[in-house]
Amino acid sequence: MVLEQLATQIGLPEWLLRGVLAPLVYPGLGAFAAVALFIIWAERKIAAKVQMRVGPLYVSRHLGGALQLLADGIRIAFQEIIIPVTVERKAYVAAPIFAFAIIAASLAVIPGGPGVYGFSSSVSLLVPFALLGLIPIVIAVMGWASNNKFTYIGAGREILVTVAGEVTLLASLLATAMMYGSLDINEIVTMQIEAGIPGIVVNPIAAFLFFVAALLMTDRIPFDVVLGEQEIVQGPYTEYTGLLFVLNMALDYGKLYALMLLFSDLFLGGWMPFNGVLLGSLAVFIKTLVLMLIAIFLRSVYGRMRIDQIASMFWSRLFPLALVSLVVSAVVHIVYTP
Amino acid sequence: MAIKLPGMYGHEVGKQEGYRVVELFIGPQHPASGHMRMILYLDGDIVVKVDPDIGYVHRTVEKLSETREYVRVISLIERMTIIDACNVTLPYVEAVERLLDVEPPPRAKYLRTILCEINRIASHLYGLGLGGIFLNHSTMYMWAFGDREVFLHLANMLTGARLTHTYSVFGGVRRDLPQGFKDEFAKARRYMLKRLKEYDKIFYNNPVIRGRLENVGILKREHAISLGATGPNLRASGVYYDARLTGYAAYPDLDFRPVIGKHGDALERIWVRLREIEVSLDLIERALKELPEGPIMNERFTKGIPPKVRHWFEKGFIKLPGGYVRLKTKAGEVITRAEMGHGEITYYLVSNGDIKPYRLRVVTPSARNVILFTVLPIGHTLMDFPAIYGSLDYFPPEADR
Repeated sequence: MVLEQLATQIGLPEWLLRGVLAPLVYPGLGAFAAVALFIIWAERKIAAKVQMRVGPLYVSRHLGGALQLLADGIRIAFQEIIIPVTVERKAYVAAPIFAFAIIAASLAVIPGGPGVYGFSSSVSLLVPFALLGLIPIVIAVMGWASNNKFTYIGAGREILVTVAGEVTLLASLLATAMMYGSLDINEIVTMQIEAGIPGIVVNPIAAFLFFVAALLMTDRIPFDVVLGEQEIVQGPYTEYTGLLFVLNMALDYGKLYALMLLFSDLFLGGWMPFNGVLLGSLAVFIKTLVLMLIAIFLRSVYGRMRIDQIASMFWSRLFPLALVSLVVSAVVHIVYTP
Repeated sequence: MAIKLPGMYGHEVGKQEGYRVVELFIGPQHPASGHMRMILYLDGDIVVKVDPDIGYVHRTVEKLSETREYVRVISLIERMTIIDACNVTLPYVEAVERLLDVEPPPRAKYLRTILCEINRIASHLYGLGLGGIFLNHSTMYMWAFGDREVFLHLANMLTGARLTHTYSVFGGVRRDLPQGFKDEFAKARRYMLKRLKEYDKIFYNNPVIRGRLENVGILKREHAISLGATGPNLRASGVYYDARLTGYAAYPDLDFRPVIGKHGDALERIWVRLREIEVSLDLIERALKELPEGPIMNERFTKGIPPKVRHWFEKGFIKLPGGYVRLKTKAGEVITRAEMGHGEITYYLVSNGDIKPYRLRVVTPSARNVILFTVLPIGHTLMDFPAIYGSLDYFPPEADR
């Protein structure tokens, strides 16, 4: 297809081109930068609309303040990165960069369109899950290296939240895999297109669980206990400044982007109405954007839940529901497999 | 489960065997501390002791008031609670009036009541907004602060200033009711009643918010009385007390009934504030309906005004005689009290017959409520601490004076 032609023209092996373009351009960091610019602007504008305000306005008044985030980014890029003397320097500096690299790596596996992926594997569904599962460890390192009580507490909360959220997330992923009898994301999308029914219709419980668990793992309100501004300032990111802080802020949006991309592949039929590379990629991209908009809209409705409430909600209500979704998948698999 | 720590510092506690207590300093540089510092002692995630460290915004109001003439003290004590300026100055004005043997005309009393209630609504909205953001509910925060503008506008219309409106002065008020105020208030009342229903939907009945506030920071009735809690925090615990019942300004004529809660948890304290806004709206409406005609200033201060500037009176403004700045009171002591948005404020004024107060002692509601910080969060988690703080409507500049 397009990538193969491009590879032959440049004279590079196709796997190398894929491995570079997917994590760095689309669906990787380049697309993520555009998404982040739009989503954070939309988050501010939507919240402002609900809250009877104007939102970002002064930077690029004709575009409704759309370039505000860019202006903030430029300002913060020139800001001094203050490294407190009490921190573990190497871990403190490396952790945010490492966490961000993990997100880019996970984006190499999730297809952003028909044939638009970095690597394909028969177990590609487990790869992003495993990679994103590394981030809490990095955040714990961040909290420890920052050497501050607020960051310790934030790191502890991150671990607690991850343990609660990942089980539900994995259960919903496995339910999907069981339903289609495959662990390959590309194959799952193809099966949805062939059947003509997106996964959310067949197994809405799994889709719901995936979405809620994704909200928890990406610190969206009402589950933003890790950031917890009113108690622990910025959680594990309290001591960061300048570009390192921007990386940390983008971390949650990056996680959200990766998970919502996965959601549109697994439950919304990926590039469903289209088959071409361009239109198909656009379909996935727009589905992801809409999902992210829903996720950020919750900010204007809810406050923050307490940790014990979140833990009990996930372990005693959502986890049994995950078992139900596995049963649904098993039934669907038996009924519809020819 | 609370651990008793009789008179022990955090670092001592940490050394005690069996205790793993972390000392957490919240504030004064913290998103949710206000102008103060809270020293929390945490065992795991459980708060075992709270040490509120007040005094960061102490402005020596009591001492400064001894150096100023009586009328200049009004604009000084307004700065204690700038969001509630009428309520905070009214008992002082009444104290000086008692020493001067001056009685304000009935219309002035009604106008004071109207502004006090407008201020109370604005103050409650301020507290509710902060209560929202303490739970990271930014919509409640923005809504309450946005709707507060309506009442600042009403205050502006009545007095000419949004916040520090030095409206009640000895013997009356400075301005008469402007034309069109009644219509404007009717509009504001309709709007606010509609908004209160929306507040109930998005905040008070929001399952997440309910989960955060219900059964958190319970203040029992006996406890509330023995600790000397005041204001909505006291009434939420089921105590039938409101300083407005003691009958100052026009309250005795208005058939005022306070809002009383039952359990005294954080949710109930928010509920009392929401319902008190409704009560205040009714009070203003009744006061506007029953507003008596007549002068707005005591004859004693207006009779000496030269006829040349008397035309100001017809426009509803008051011109005061030059001697008003150097009023001499009789020697004596007075205690007055009033209900502010945050609770009951008490003034103890001692005069030795000079043009300045000999001593002005102020007990503000927040200064009385600060003790609740040491009691309510014990045994709750760290996350409950902002919820309790938000429900108390504590205002550090007022407590520090």
